[in-house]
Amino acid sequence: MVTQDEINARAKAAVMDFDDELVEEICEEALEAKIDIVSLIQDGLTAGMNEVGDQFEQGTLFLPHVIAASEAMSAGVAVLTPALEAEGGSVKSKGTIVIGTIEGDIHSIGKDIVLTMLKIAGFKVVDLGRDVAIATYVDAVKEHKPLIVGSSALMTTTMVLQMQIEEQLKEAGIRDTVLTMVGGAPVTQDWADKIGSDIYAENATDAVVKCNAAAE
Amino acid sequence: MLPKLDVLSSEQVEAIHEHSMKILEEVGLDFLYEPALEVFKANGQRVEGDRVYFDREFIEEQIKKAPSQFTLHARNPENDLVCGGDNIIFMPGYGVSFIYEADGTRRESVMEDYDNFVKLAGVSGNLHMTGGNIADPSDVPDEIRHLKMLYSSIKNSDKCFMGSASNRERAEDVIEMASILFGGREAIKEKPALICLINSITPLKFDDYMAGSLMAYAEAGQPVVIAALVMAGSTGPASIAGSLSLQNAEVLAGIALAQCVNPGTPVVYASSSAITDMKTGALSIGNPECALFTASCAQMGRHYGIPTRSGGGLTDSKVVDAQAGYESMMTLLNAGVTGINYVLHTAGILEGYMAMSYEKFVVDDEIAGMVLRYLKGIDFSEDAFAFDVIKKVGPGEHFLAQKHTRKYYPLELRDAELSDRLPYNNWAKEGLDTLQRANKQWQDVLATYEAPELDPAVDEALQKFMEKRIAELTK
Repeated sequence: MVTQDEINARAKAAVMDFDDELVEEICEEALEAKIDIVSLIQDGLTAGMNEVGDQFEQGTLFLPHVIAASEAMSAGVAVLTPALEAEGGSVKSKGTIVIGTIEGDIHSIGKDIVLTMLKIAGFKVVDLGRDVAIATYVDAVKEHKPLIVGSSALMTTTMVLQMQIEEQLKEAGIRDTVLTMVGGAPVTQDWADKIGSDIYAENATDAVVKCNAAAE
Repeated sequence: MLPKLDVLSSEQVEAIHEHSMKILEEVGLDFLYEPALEVFKANGQRVEGDRVYFDREFIEEQIKKAPSQFTLHARNPENDLVCGGDNIIFMPGYGVSFIYEADGTRRESVMEDYDNFVKLAGVSGNLHMTGGNIADPSDVPDEIRHLKMLYSSIKNSDKCFMGSASNRERAEDVIEMASILFGGREAIKEKPALICLINSITPLKFDDYMAGSLMAYAEAGQPVVIAALVMAGSTGPASIAGSLSLQNAEVLAGIALAQCVNPGTPVVYASSSAITDMKTGALSIGNPECALFTASCAQMGRHYGIPTRSGGGLTDSKVVDAQAGYESMMTLLNAGVTGINYVLHTAGILEGYMAMSYEKFVVDDEIAGMVLRYLKGIDFSEDAFAFDVIKKVGPGEHFLAQKHTRKYYPLELRDAELSDRLPYNNWAKEGLDTLQRANKQWQDVLATYEAPELDPAVDEALQKFMEKRIAELTK
């Protein structure tokens, strides 16, 4: 019979190997073997992800590795989630962050990198995708009650819509329940200050630093 | 590899050759070295005083004896280099007397600078050999500098290096040291390990130091770089075609001497020609005319079937500034794309061969890395077209998580070593400009430097030889 430690170690290695198919297989095997799912996520998948993240910080691994490791981990989490929910368990997180590329803008790579880094940092991240209507952000804040809601814009023409998130959150009476975060190539600290956004993230690393500070 | 850029038509190549033949036949060259005159006389050339008048058939015959490529051997065989063909060899600057510091001041170069540049070039992933005569050690007596410099080149790196060519006696000394390192005269004759730079004195002269060194290296079967430095407008015509024909005549005469002394001697056809700045009369090298001389050199070498050499990261700037960067990128990229094989002065040069700068060395090392990447061209394998991956990812998604990306980014996407690619806020934390980053980088490299191992018996033999020669030369 496979032990918890063995399967955690194999899951960790598979994440570090960026092998999403193997991660899925291991997670399915774990479900059959009635292994502790929370431990598998935290001490197996996340441990592998953290190792990759550390090597990225040290400059020995690069963005493609981080993104691929994250996808491998997500593949495993997707297999485990139904069982996890059925047994009412949950994985520790620093908080929930809702994030999306704003209405009219389909440039989502930057947003995807940011959400990957935030996941690695231990946040639960809800991805709203791209070309996200302002009302969708507001609804997501109501539904997920996140710590932070983030919007990304690559163009000056879509950047102006970030102001509407602030306004519509206020109209819905929930602006005080959440921190807003803005990012994207044309976005600056000055712009964030001007529209009243709480956090300006210049890039993925900056987003992690500032979200960590907000979570404390 | 990319196809080579040609700047001359085949008619223009032929026209340069024809005019050079006319110069060699009708004007001739002065050789201020009796043994060289004897060699030419013995080979049926007309000699009057110091002047040698050449037959074109003789010159053309000698050119054919020179190999189209040769291997230069290093004490670590992994660092052996092939000079010729599609190969490009990068190395530090050569022959300077000054160090220009990051703060804009200058001082005379010393032995420690020479050691440092050998170490930096030895460690560099972009420089293939450590060169020679990088910076004159002003703190070492002139008579023994060649010994100290060669020992440093041997000791501080296991890449290929150059030997002294300041006169026949010194050439013999460094050839002897190379023999000790590689196991005797016959060993280096079979596997050449020492290469030297011979310069004509433009217009149309070779002095006794250069002709003597050339003959010593040729006799020992060691490769010789034979170079002309025409300053168009002063030591040559202001018209580039005229200066090219002059340069070509001088280089071919030098190659003929090497082939007469020892047929099949590996030679490198070399140009360091550039222009005269007409405001000051000074040599100016960081310019498009110099790049045209280099490009023409590459093409003449291909025409003759002989490897070629030019300068590399060349600039007239006194500081590591935008001028130093844009001039050096033009001249080094040009040497690469036109197919030069042996690039002297790839890294470190400031003010027209006058000075080395540590910071400029680091900047040029980065430029060299960029040029090498550019020359590698584009992978056109079926796998590199990545159709299956493009199909899998589809519209609107990204390729960052793909295995194909992890495989190909290290192969096709070069990581910068000096250039800053950070977003503004990250950069602004330290706010370092190129000069400041380069200053930090070379100091970091030297701080962690470890010398490659040298066989203690060989080391001892080298030191013994040096002691003996130093005693003889300084008594």
